[in-house]
Amino acid sequence: MGIKITVKNTADGSTIKMEVDPKETVSDIIDSAAEYWRKDAGAYVLKKGKSILRGTDTAMEINLMGGDTLEMIPDPEGGR
Amino acid sequence: MLITDGSPLLRIGGSDNDRHDRMRRIGWIDMESVHSARILVAGAGALGNEAVKNLVLAGFRRIDVADMDDIVVSNLSRCLFFRDKDVKTVMKSDVVAERASELDPDATVTSMPGRIQDIKNWDYDIVLGCLDNISARMHLNSHSYFHRIPYIDGATDGFRGKVHVVLPGGPCLQCTMNRSHVREMERRFTCTGNSTTYVPRMAADITTTAVIAAMQVREALKIVSGREDMCLKHVAYYNGESCEMFTAEASVDPECANHLLREGE
Repeated sequence: MGIKITVKNTADGSTIKMEVDPKETVSDIIDSAAEYWRKDAGAYVLKKGKSILRGTDTAMEINLMGGDTLEMIPDPEGGR
Repeated sequence: MLITDGSPLLRIGGSDNDRHDRMRRIGWIDMESVHSARILVAGAGALGNEAVKNLVLAGFRRIDVADMDDIVVSNLSRCLFFRDKDVKTVMKSDVVAERASELDPDATVTSMPGRIQDIKNWDYDIVLGCLDNISARMHLNSHSYFHRIPYIDGATDGFRGKVHVVLPGGPCLQCTMNRSHVREMERRFTCTGNSTTYVPRMAADITTTAVIAAMQVREALKIVSGREDMCLKHVAYYNGESCEMFTAEASVDPECANHLLREGE
């Protein structure tokens, strides 16, 4: 059974509801959200509370619960 | 008039003759350590210009600046050390080293023109990442981590920016990366000198650059002063459009190659 969560786009504050399988990974969630928002290619991280989530961790491993909100943050790479 | 109670002689008006008097008034800053710390600034573009300016003004005196590029016109809106006459004639690192040295005659700012992959000597107290792509950051991150050098990474994209502090034993840059970073890394032009594909230039502005570079140097001041307890844990994200900043904590990825290599010795 899927876990119903909210993903918040920190760039503009918009949110989406998502159903996640416990075996799906943080990278899977990022890919799905980026595709939904039709984001430009780029790097993103997911934050749960104060913590940045590791890409290979599954929803089960990060103890994702129904009703949780994850924040999706664009990870800038410019500077020169 | 002199007051002699055993403390250093107080000279009337003397504090105005001490270049770093106002810094010394921040009690926890150890100016002797700041003066003697060896700093590598990787990247002499927008962030690199700002970081080196801040480092020298803050009292750092042993700075190496590495960059493989020469100067182009579009650099001039964000790089205070560059001039029109420099365009296509000189290397970025040469100009930054020369002009930053003018800010403080006691500072030695050394140019290291070339690829960061060619740096052989990692005898530094702090490494500042002022780069523009993930591949180069990964290189700097892994070498810094292996040599147990604190690494302070800065990054910007338009009005957004990020500072990531990596301390020996703590989570590194690679620990926070996921599949989206790998894809981006494969897509980007890299600092290895091998252009694999054309990618549009990223948005950038001096105000965000200035904020991020200032934070990088502030974290360096804490580390060389022995105040790691005050350091950012671990990443700060800045949004210049909303004037907001928030921090996020990372954790060591047990599968991260840097940690496996270092801890497996």
